[in-house]
Amino acid sequence: MRMLSRWVTGSAFIFYLYWSGAWQIAYASTDAEVRMQDISQGSLVFRSEGSKAYRQVPVVSTDVEMNITGMILRSRLKQTFENTSDQWVEAIYVFPLPEQAAVDHMRIKVGERVIEGQVKEKNQARKIYNKAKAAGKRAALTEQLRPNMFTNSIANIGPGETIVVEIEYQQLLQYKDGQYSFRFPMAITPRYTPGRSAVNDEARAMNSGWLTEEGNLQGSAAITPPVDIGNNKLNPVRMNIMLESGFPLAHLKSSYHAINSTQTEPGKYRIGFTDEVVYAKRDFVLSWTPEAGKQPRVALFSENKGTDSYHMLMVIPPEMDNTSQKTLSREVVYIIDTSGSMAGTSIQQARKALLMGLGRLDISSRFNIIQFNSVTHMLFQSSQMATPENINKAKYYVRQLQATGGTEMAPALQAGLNNQVYDQDIRQVIFLTDGSVGNEAELFVYIKQHLGNSRLFTVGIGSAPNSHFMRKVAEFGRGTFSYIGNVNDVDEIMRKLFRKLETPLMSDLVVDFPGSNLVDSWPERIPDLYDGEPLLVFWKSPGYGMGEIRIHGKRQNITWENTFPMSLAGSGKGISQLWARKKISELMGRQLTQGRNGVRKQVIEIALDHHLVSQYTSLVAVDITPVRSIATSLTKSKVPVNLPTGQHYTKIFGRLPQTATPAGMQIISGLLLLLLGWLARWKLMYWRVRS
Amino acid sequence: MRLAREMLVAVTVLVVAAGVLQLGQGVYIKAKAVLAQHLLEQAWARTQAGDHQVKPWAWADTWPLARIVIPSQHKTYILLAGDSGRTLAFGPGHHTGSPLPGEPGNSMISGHRDTHFSFLQYLANDDEIILETVHGKTKHYQVEQGRIMSADNAWVVDDDSVSRLTFVTCYPFNALQPGTAMRYVITAVEVDVDVVNTRPISL
Repeated sequence: MRMLSRWVTGSAFIFYLYWSGAWQIAYASTDAEVRMQDISQGSLVFRSEGSKAYRQVPVVSTDVEMNITGMILRSRLKQTFENTSDQWVEAIYVFPLPEQAAVDHMRIKVGERVIEGQVKEKNQARKIYNKAKAAGKRAALTEQLRPNMFTNSIANIGPGETIVVEIEYQQLLQYKDGQYSFRFPMAITPRYTPGRSAVNDEARAMNSGWLTEEGNLQGSAAITPPVDIGNNKLNPVRMNIMLESGFPLAHLKSSYHAINSTQTEPGKYRIGFTDEVVYAKRDFVLSWTPEAGKQPRVALFSENKGTDSYHMLMVIPPEMDNTSQKTLSREVVYIIDTSGSMAGTSIQQARKALLMGLGRLDISSRFNIIQFNSVTHMLFQSSQMATPENINKAKYYVRQLQATGGTEMAPALQAGLNNQVYDQDIRQVIFLTDGSVGNEAELFVYIKQHLGNSRLFTVGIGSAPNSHFMRKVAEFGRGTFSYIGNVNDVDEIMRKLFRKLETPLMSDLVVDFPGSNLVDSWPERIPDLYDGEPLLVFWKSPGYGMGEIRIHGKRQNITWENTFPMSLAGSGKGISQLWARKKISELMGRQLTQGRNGVRKQVIEIALDHHLVSQYTSLVAVDITPVRSIATSLTKSKVPVNLPTGQHYTKIFGRLPQTATPAGMQIISGLLLLLLGWLARWKLMYWRVRS
Repeated sequence: MRLAREMLVAVTVLVVAAGVLQLGQGVYIKAKAVLAQHLLEQAWARTQAGDHQVKPWAWADTWPLARIVIPSQHKTYILLAGDSGRTLAFGPGHHTGSPLPGEPGNSMISGHRDTHFSFLQYLANDDEIILETVHGKTKHYQVEQGRIMSADNAWVVDDDSVSRLTFVTCYPFNALQPGTAMRYVITAVEVDVDVVNTRPISL
């Protein structure tokens, strides 16, 4: 018995040593070479001589100058690139712009000299730029990566030198619920491109020529700028805005940045940041409302250019008296993005918004919740009645939502759009996401083909959502796009959205243009209008605009009609470019279903006519005299950007993966156990011999 | 005495059984790592023949993305899509969010320090790594640096548009237990074939 207990104690001790990790310490310390270094993280083990690792990156700062007149915003971005290294550099800078921005000018400024950029077909522009670069000339190239993301390449910045690139664009203000607003993006959410998706094959099968998976992935590599994870204090931005509203303001608000504003004369305001500079990591949103009674109900502008004229009409439909309203039965499906890029404040906002939506459902509605990251999960198999019991279940589900993993959006959209089993009057799909996906095109195609009776409403979340994507999704989904940038805004914005979804809409809208058959108009199909939304149309007509424009639509079987004589039109500079921008965007949308070739030609034609950057045209500027001798080498370097506010780097890219197996431990413990067994057998034999 | 003996017999049987089980599991992991690479060769051949996302076996959730050859270590591995634990059991895996191996940018590849990527500890400056892409192209990379860092330092995935491979494995290499907090990270930059300054290789 004593023998046995000794044996047990002995083996227990061996196990203790083993599990306590004592082995491991003894093991590791034999490796003296690396032991010195393994204490501090990030320590360098070796570095190759003459490697490019020490390359300096150029730094950028931005001055923004905006002029707002009526409905149009004209903006000039002055990007100053400073080469802090002792080598000649080519700087590549990826930057966001508002998604409807019409970029029409680019120029390089070196000291006193100004070189004006020209719009060229994309490949041609690139050739011109590359040739100048190789010849040692100063050159700049502005290319569109996506409608809301651009790159500036600046060749031959000398050691210690500074070069200024100026970009000009124009955009239309948003007008909604009696309030004007615009968003100036200042950060890019790092994107996730799924490795494989269900919609992919479908898109490929359409043979549209450019939706190959390979193409998509390459796109993703190209659009991700390096992210700074140091102090996140890159790209200081200065802002100077002149706002000529034409009427006194009741309200002027910047949602996420502190601003100063002064009224220089009646109806004219000068606005800037309170701090001298702001670091570009969260979008700037400015909104204002006219004093009561000064809200416009109709805006009609024309611009004559060449032999054509361009027009814009905005109409706020009159409000309806409440007596004629009847309640419509609704089915509401919430789709919520719980991928890693939503981590941090974004998921909190989303949870809050969802809970609010659940609270507003009336008992006759049906609802469901779908969450997705790398996988898709539905709360109910199919939509359920909004009974208190179901709502409680849903609320519990929402509180448990966590953000982690990839963004496989396609299966969630499929689930949201395919289960149209109930015969409700209205089917609304509310989609909460930051839209950081790389395979946008496939998703658009899918929505377009499978929308059915549903209406898709997107809610952009986080400090830098991909609003191009979400606006487009809403467009294809015949719904609207709302944006929440701050947890404190959730209530206000979601209340507006939900109120809208609960109120009757204006549908079947048709616009009759003067001289209809010769008119080239946007949008192709006029969307349903919800409470507080204006009707907006652009059109081009040969000669001067004459005659009158007639609008009719229906609100719950009541016809609404209105006529505007063209003689009322005011003159609006820049309408033609806005028309062109809208037209290009519509053509690009058509490309998804109609193939690339015909569309490309039309886009190039419009873009060259109106001097615009597009998917197929770029701005290029080249200096005449070479500055760098061909013998000196040129290093290419991307300008790093800040990670958007509220995002955790490790949540987007994850922790570095787990890269060890328990095999070694299992083999050793297995051998040890066998050794013990062998010892015991030996002991048993000894006992047997003795007895 | 008889009781003691019976107890000892029982304990011994248990200990031996547990030992066989542990040893078996450990050997299974190692064997799987080696065997899977052989099975993957077939899927790789089909991929190069033009098939898309070839699953090496019916229930696989990964497919071959590229093949790497490390002449100085006499190693060849097939890289898989994704870097989940399940994938890494069969071969080094590519981080889905990073550019594909062979494309511009920083492509991140992870492997187990005690199976496929144990060779990382022997890599040195300027060692050559040859990459074969799915499109049948061959690209050459040269080891640029090695680092020991915390697993939370995900910034190694930073991308400055230079064509790079970043290999990640757990550190220290000879730790017994999995789940260490440190990682060994090797980066290699793409180079033109004719400028590769290789160590003399004894094949």
